[in-house]
Amino acid sequence: MSFALKQQPSELSFEEVAAKYPQFPRLVMLKTDIQRRGVYYTDRALSVADPAIHQLAGTHIFGTRDGILTHRPEAFILRDGTSVLTSPTPLEENPYIVDLCDGRLVLLDKGQEIEEIEYWTKPDYYNLTTSTGVPMSHVASARPQRIYIMPSRYCHFWSDNQGCLFCDIVNNLKQQKSELDLPPKLKPRDVAETIKEALKEPGRFTAICLTSGSDFHGGVPFDTEVDYYIEILQAVGENFKTAKFPSQLISTAFTEKQLARIYEQTGILSYTPDIEVLNEKLFAWICPGKARWVGYREWKQRLIRAVDIFDRGYVNTCIVAGVELAKPHGFTDEDEALKAVLEEAEDLASHGVSTVYTVWVPRPGSYLRGQKNASLDYYVRLAAGLHELRKKYNLPIDHDDYRRCGNHPDSDLGRLL
Amino acid sequence: MAVDITEKLAALLGKADTVKILVTTDEEGAPHAVVKDSLRLDEQHRLIYLELLESSRTNKNMVRSIWFNRAVAVAVAGANGESYQIKGKPVKAIVSGPLFRKYYQQIREQCDDADLAAVWVIEPENIIDQSFPVRRRQEEASHPYFKHLDRLAK
Ligand code: SF4
Repeated sequence: MSFALKQQPSELSFEEVAAKYPQFPRLVMLKTDIQRRGVYYTDRALSVADPAIHQLAGTHIFGTRDGILTHRPEAFILRDGTSVLTSPTPLEENPYIVDLCDGRLVLLDKGQEIEEIEYWTKPDYYNLTTSTGVPMSHVASARPQRIYIMPSRYCHFWSDNQGCLFCDIVNNLKQQKSELDLPPKLKPRDVAETIKEALKEPGRFTAICLTSGSDFHGGVPFDTEVDYYIEILQAVGENFKTAKFPSQLISTAFTEKQLARIYEQTGILSYTPDIEVLNEKLFAWICPGKARWVGYREWKQRLIRAVDIFDRGYVNTCIVAGVELAKPHGFTDEDEALKAVLEEAEDLASHGVSTVYTVWVPRPGSYLRGQKNASLDYYVRLAAGLHELRKKYNLPIDHDDYRRCGNHPDSDLGRLL
Repeated sequence: MAVDITEKLAALLGKADTVKILVTTDEEGAPHAVVKDSLRLDEQHRLIYLELLESSRTNKNMVRSIWFNRAVAVAVAGANGESYQIKGKPVKAIVSGPLFRKYYQQIREQCDDADLAAVWVIEPENIIDQSFPVRRRQEEASHPYFKHLDRLAK
């Protein structure tokens, strides 16, 4: 068992970081720290997680820090509407605690009440099954305002032992298949039926997001992945009266031709091929599959070329923030890492591509398990830096913001833009 | 510290002809005042404000207020000269869940074209009766010099 996530004595505490950056919203800082340290649900807190009302963990593409998949709330929401997607974490790793006090769900740290929270509510369609008998909750998972479809839970980079080092998708899939009986690949019909039901709930959703593992098969590498997305997106699109609908595709970086095909044949409106780490050398080490099949420079070029199709700001990329500090090849100094990441992000922003981050969680099912993610100070400066780049280059982030996504502290700040 | 809204003020807030103006401030502290008919009270007598436009200046200012603990003000004016100012802080932005759905459906019934971005909850911290007779009595009591002498002449 690793104790690596424990706050190091040299690290600033939450209050110290909050005092250092008074212009950074405390609630977004708290979300970031919860994501960094994880969360532990007490039995009392779990006793009020009602499967009839709340969304319990189910169809995550990635695993948890404690290796358990089910029966916990999927995530929670803070009083400003900020979503906190976080992984249940063993107590000995110093997570925040979710407890029940006087009938209220509260977040505790060192025994002190920090904030009141609410579990995400379950969408109506979670109670239904498709005509082929698949529970709709297994077809699309819900966030407070977004429908999340994972058409394929397998990443073919893993078959060559070239999965990203922070990723546990295939190990998680094996566990989900045996414990939850999740379909590894969705049928377009099941998707169409699920979206149809989801849209019946008034005011529940503002966007649809698709993501899968990579699949390099096809005449041109990744044609198979492209074809499958088109099929699924067309099935989604059957339910809309408009040709385009608020949507996001998180996928491999495709060629212009492949992208044009997706754009023209579906209702997709934004594109997010995740580069994961903004450094060429580290990309080659951390994302060997992406490096082999596309390469760092070409990935960046594909991002930039995609702007011609989707427009400025509607192409972005996500980084797994903190993984650039992973041992043994990562940066050893946070200041240097931050400078390097923001320089690369600025290069992309100057071409109309925005960068968002998720907090790196060294999951037990990943190669980099047991390592330590970055300090809160680092994550705060990174969020502020990426937000400033969006301001400087006038890039909207509506499709991946606090509401359409909710998993990026930096784009939460877009609520002020 | 939250304060109670009187029954009289609650009734005024519920009247159709009452004018309600929400005043928020931007990054520089510049005020932004907008008439908001949707302002109402919930069961706990907190102010509820329905934001229909996600990118509105008011919505951004409300986010700034909840993040940085900044006050907002609501001016309430009745048809018979009643006038109040309620100062408070946004304590919650509801963007999903049953309450959001309830208000979303209300809004959609009222207007086919409308959407709902957030249900804001404002906790009142200070209520000032701004109606002229009340304010004049207060001023006369606390500032006996603040008047023209001809008003006192025989
Ligand atoms: S591309 Fe990398 S991060 Fe994405 S699923 Fe495959 S291994 Fe995981």
